[in-house]
Amino acid sequence: MSLQSEYKNRYDKVLTRLAEAIAEQVQGYLRSEPRIDRVTGRAKDIASFMDKARREENGKKKYSEPLSQIQDQIGVRIITFYTSDVTRLHDIVVKYFRPIEIKNHVPESEKEFSYFGRHFILKVPTDAISDDMDRTLVPEFFELQIKTLFQHAWSEAEHDLGYKPGTTPLTSEQKRRLAFTSAQAWGADHIFEELFRERHP
Amino acid sequence: MSVQHVHTYLVHIGKGKAGPPRIGGTTVALKDKFFDLLNNIYSRSDDECDIDITFSLSPDGKQQNPCRDLILDYLRNPTLPNGRMIAERLEKMTDNRSGLGLLFLIGGTEGKERKLVISRFPTDSAILADENQTALTVEFLERVFMKSKYSYKAVSYRGRSLEGDFWSGRATDKQINPSNGDISNYWIVEFLASEFSITPAAGTRRLAVALRDAAKKADIEVKTELAAATTLASRLKGQRLNIDEFEQRFGLSPEACAALRSELKNSKVAQERFQFDSDEFNSVIRYRSVEMSSGGILIGPSGNFDKIFQKEVVDKEKKRVRYSTEGTVVDTRLKKGL
Repeated sequence: MSLQSEYKNRYDKVLTRLAEAIAEQVQGYLRSEPRIDRVTGRAKDIASFMDKARREENGKKKYSEPLSQIQDQIGVRIITFYTSDVTRLHDIVVKYFRPIEIKNHVPESEKEFSYFGRHFILKVPTDAISDDMDRTLVPEFFELQIKTLFQHAWSEAEHDLGYKPGTTPLTSEQKRRLAFTSAQAWGADHIFEELFRERHP
Repeated sequence: MSVQHVHTYLVHIGKGKAGPPRIGGTTVALKDKFFDLLNNIYSRSDDECDIDITFSLSPDGKQQNPCRDLILDYLRNPTLPNGRMIAERLEKMTDNRSGLGLLFLIGGTEGKERKLVISRFPTDSAILADENQTALTVEFLERVFMKSKYSYKAVSYRGRSLEGDFWSGRATDKQINPSNGDISNYWIVEFLASEFSITPAAGTRRLAVALRDAAKKADIEVKTELAAATTLASRLKGQRLNIDEFEQRFGLSPEACAALRSELKNSKVAQERFQFDSDEFNSVIRYRSVEMSSGGILIGPSGNFDKIFQKEVVDKEKKRVRYSTEGTVVDTRLKKGL
């Protein structure tokens, strides 16, 4: 069976349902929390998985065993209002899920603006796995992201413009314009956070 | 035969010691009675190891764990020196309380999966009795290693990919809830650098929600049982248990167990061990019960108990009180006589 067929099998039989179940579980933990815009869950689509599986690093395939190594086959995203909410929700996430990675994505240099967001690689909770799911198809981990509304908006548009399978690479000038929008989103987050603190001292 | 290699090491007390003694070790031949014993441990590990654990992330949040790294090195190249690295890690975590131990690394394959069982036998003393037709000779033996039912420890890992798998395993630790209540972190937390796969809050919340929802739907007898168990659950603070053990500890009837199970998402979660978190439990569910000398028992949600039942002091000196409540009867059952 080819990698694509294997992933399609997993996608059809397990991943879509599992993504919904995990997102529902996250929603349950956050039910009484303020300023949650939404919680979404998705199974990585087959084209995106295959695109990622083919990636190279230093002239070699990045993933020798993509089904085990690609850990965002299921992705859950929590969208919140302010940057201080991200920290608050971080604590709730690690209270209920077992992480094997926590990463605060910020651009490498202080002079750069690009992707911002907090990512977790978390153990798939047993509660989300129903008895009729083939457990050999269930991935061990899923990715959870916490983003502000502005971080979310920027990453969605940037992904649509630059990273969809089959799109041509961005030019230098286009990248600069994207960086400009990231800086604006970053600035908006900071101003909103300041306003929030002023209004809720 | 699925077992392909076995290495064993004598692990001394090394915690807090500057230069721990060099650990020896040997390769065990895959034959004879000794191997049969180890092969049995390997085969039975799937049943014996019943605690789901996951390696911890590094302090800076990366997917890196010192014990997992040693295990992967050993799986890639299962040699005596690579196994010794694991034994040396155990020695650094071993104190006087844990004592001398004999460590076994038993590796094999099962289908497309690799499997590694790490097993620690504690030291003990014993008496060897040898009888012939004319006499009985006895000999005191030190450094006898036994698969003690009180302090045996093991862990089993399975996986296909050395790159992406082997993050989770199943462990057993007979000292995890010792009688003195002092939870042992030696095996799972310190040596394996792992945690239970389910967090205390998630495991406790799962139990509390199941109890709460089961009680809502149950008849009065089962409701009473579940409420009593809920009231007593605060005693479990910090204990490590699963829902199976919770049911046993509070002697729930088959009906109450069935009601509880029907609220769980799947059949496996009842076996998953977690550390009981009282605060989380109380945030979801808390029942208060009052038993009267008259034989009456009152049960109600703790938060609303005083609103549901009005208490009136009848005789302060004799501590006699009267409880009353008003509403419509939504359910009533008779308990069968004995």
